[in-house]
Amino acid sequence: MLAIFSPVLVVAEELVVFSGRKDKFIKPVAKEFTRQTGIEVLLHTAKSTALLNKLKLEGERTDADLYISNDAGNLQKGSDLDLFQALPSELSQKIPANYRAADGTWLGLSARARVLVVNTKSDLAGQVNSVFDLADPKLKNKIAITHSANGSFIAGVTVYMLKQGDEQTLNWMKGLNENAGRNIFNKHSRVVKAVAKGKADVGLVNHYYIYRHLAKNPNAPIEIVVPDQGDGMGVAWNVAGVAISKHTKKKDAAIKFVEFLVSEKGQQMFSEVNKEYPTLPNVKTAAEIPKLANMKVSDVAMAKLGQNRNATIDLIEKSGLQ
Amino acid sequence: MTSLSLFAPSKLIRFGSLAWITAFVAFIAVLPLLYVVRYGLSLSSEQWLSLWSTRIPGLLWNTIVLAFIVAIFSLTFGISSAWIVARKDFVGRKAAIWLLLLPLTIPTYVFAHIYTVMLEEDGWLGSAWISIFGEGTLPPDLSSVVGVAFILALASFSYIFLLVRASLNQSTQNLEEAARIQGLNPVQVFTRVNLRLMRPAIAAGLAVVVLHVLSDFGAVSMLRYQTFTLSIYNQMSGRMDYQAAAGLSFVLILLSLSFLVVERFFRKRQRFFVSSQAKVVQRKKASLKEQMLIWFWIGLITLFSFILPVSWMVYFSWDSWLQGFIDSDFWRYSFNSGLVSFIAATIALVVAFPVAFYNARKQSKLSRGYLQTASLGFALPGPVLALGVLTFVLAQLPIIYGAISALVFAMVIRFLPLAVQAQDAALQQLTPSIEEAGRLFGAGPIENLRRVILPIVRSGMATAWVLVFIDVLKELPATLILRPTGFDTLPIRIWIEASEEMLELAAPAGLMLVIGTIPAIWLMRQSEKIN
Repeated sequence: MLAIFSPVLVVAEELVVFSGRKDKFIKPVAKEFTRQTGIEVLLHTAKSTALLNKLKLEGERTDADLYISNDAGNLQKGSDLDLFQALPSELSQKIPANYRAADGTWLGLSARARVLVVNTKSDLAGQVNSVFDLADPKLKNKIAITHSANGSFIAGVTVYMLKQGDEQTLNWMKGLNENAGRNIFNKHSRVVKAVAKGKADVGLVNHYYIYRHLAKNPNAPIEIVVPDQGDGMGVAWNVAGVAISKHTKKKDAAIKFVEFLVSEKGQQMFSEVNKEYPTLPNVKTAAEIPKLANMKVSDVAMAKLGQNRNATIDLIEKSGLQ
Repeated sequence: MTSLSLFAPSKLIRFGSLAWITAFVAFIAVLPLLYVVRYGLSLSSEQWLSLWSTRIPGLLWNTIVLAFIVAIFSLTFGISSAWIVARKDFVGRKAAIWLLLLPLTIPTYVFAHIYTVMLEEDGWLGSAWISIFGEGTLPPDLSSVVGVAFILALASFSYIFLLVRASLNQSTQNLEEAARIQGLNPVQVFTRVNLRLMRPAIAAGLAVVVLHVLSDFGAVSMLRYQTFTLSIYNQMSGRMDYQAAAGLSFVLILLSLSFLVVERFFRKRQRFFVSSQAKVVQRKKASLKEQMLIWFWIGLITLFSFILPVSWMVYFSWDSWLQGFIDSDFWRYSFNSGLVSFIAATIALVVAFPVAFYNARKQSKLSRGYLQTASLGFALPGPVLALGVLTFVLAQLPIIYGAISALVFAMVIRFLPLAVQAQDAALQQLTPSIEEAGRLFGAGPIENLRRVILPIVRSGMATAWVLVFIDVLKELPATLILRPTGFDTLPIRIWIEASEEMLELAAPAGLMLVIGTIPAIWLMRQSEKIN
């Protein structure tokens, strides 16, 4: 009984991972790592942002060895707050510079695209090809979006803001607010569902939500449209990634974990379970998602997502979007 | 009963030191509040100005309107059902009491989650709606203020039911008889006699309900309705802006305090001593037509507040069971939840007793001040309290950080008000004459406490323990922040699975909360009978 009142004694070979990524996506990867190395992994799951707060308040008392988030914005924020330490450069250099911190304090592991989901039976099929089309008055009551506090939504807005400027992005959000009506949902899956059911003709989501819906409903009348291709700004991108806590006492084991995550096997497991794009070049992607080679990705460095987060939230609040 | 035996051998309460103990409890309870005030006061006048001009008016409006609508809903459900079960005799009365108490076991975020899913077009309620009102009509939207209020009222009207029923059971019926003889019709008897006698209980119930609304995080965050608590959380976690969060908390605390002052004003001098003559409550046998009406009304309330949500949870739990999702991890989460709730409820009961007892004996400004101070934890939203406790513990008591002690500490402070208020209400029945009688027969203070006072307040204590137990069991935001690494409870799992859209995994955890609370409610019902 007394043991519960005293601080938890952590087993020597156990890594504590503060994880903002869904349990079911990270568990199989952690299990495989344990099988290969014998090092146990304890997942402490919560919202990425709440975990950053915890890391910051705990300072050197933290027992977190690693931090995993689904959002590059959070990872960069942690770097700016000096919560992480630099990874060995031979490790970070495996990942393209766009998908990691400039100072090597975090690495992107898997990427997702901010795309449009379109109902194939609607007359909009083949008509929309930019996210900015969503604010067109002709689309009133035809679009579905998530609420604006959603992390992926915020990260997308940051990209548009940096590529197209504050003014245009602000007007765009005002247009979204006009057009969405009741179709503002608290989850991406409900956006896809609304489009599949014909409650809306087009929705703004991360690409994998479309395939998750199709896996359950293979005949749903929906298709993916990768927006802003050709002369456009490119599709907005975000990565999930990992960082090593500044105050870890198990640096070697933590590095081993990161090594595993950027190995070909680790990359494949980490991305495939959620049908994301591995950040390590030349790793196979899931068959059904659009080929990376055919896609123009906007050139905003992922680190910018964190640096511009508060400015983005200010802009969203100014727009009055729910 | 285990909780009660803790008091028996107590040598702790020597009456001279009672005041000191009370002062100490009040001081500890107010610590996290001091932290918030200090942070809030460090805001510059420009920062305050910008908060006032941008956020505060909208949040004030949202929060007050929500609290008002929830109050109306819960008063309607709570008072009507309490009056029916206290004054009418009908088939299935005992079952009705259980059904009206059981919604307490379902957290607000579970209500919000289940109703969101049920109201989708292919959900249980959504498809029923469309088949009744026709294709093309839309089921009601929960993320409106009325929708959120409906959810919160379902989750909290039972507090009013509980307290009003207790007061109806205790108040003498002589007055009602007298009023009837004077020729008043039943409605007049209800408004002129019952309502007035019930006023303290209604005020107390309303206070609990409104404070739950003000500090609710689960439902408002799932339905995206911007209240102070949600906005504070967003400031803290989205922007890591502790100062703005503290500033908003400061306003929220003022709001809660002014509400408590109003509530006290309504309760003022409403101290009714129980008369021994009319202890036996006589219930009128309801006619067949009345019985049908009664069950229509109670059936309607309990259908939405308990039967539907629980059927949904059972349905999806069965699914998860078949898929083998209920494993050893699940039982560990259940154990963790039970452990924290049991310890926190027991500690809260023990530390609340001197505060309530001191007030019952002294009835002075000071004693009431301590009582109010110890009740402040409720005014703090969970995330803010957690932050206060975290900062305090890291700075002053780092040795307990990382274990469940910090979590238990926060839970005790947060739900101490329930323990204090319930015991205070019970101790108010203790007329000075009862105590004097004990003294006259030569009982010393300890013996008087054991043989005279404790038996009288036993039911109030059981209620206090159960209320704290239930609330700790359901608590989410502070637990999210303060739990030790890797320590997951049922609400944490519900929250994780619900945000991962794994409905069939959230259901068994929700059901386990309901099942785990049933023995606690049974304990409370037993102690009522003994009394």
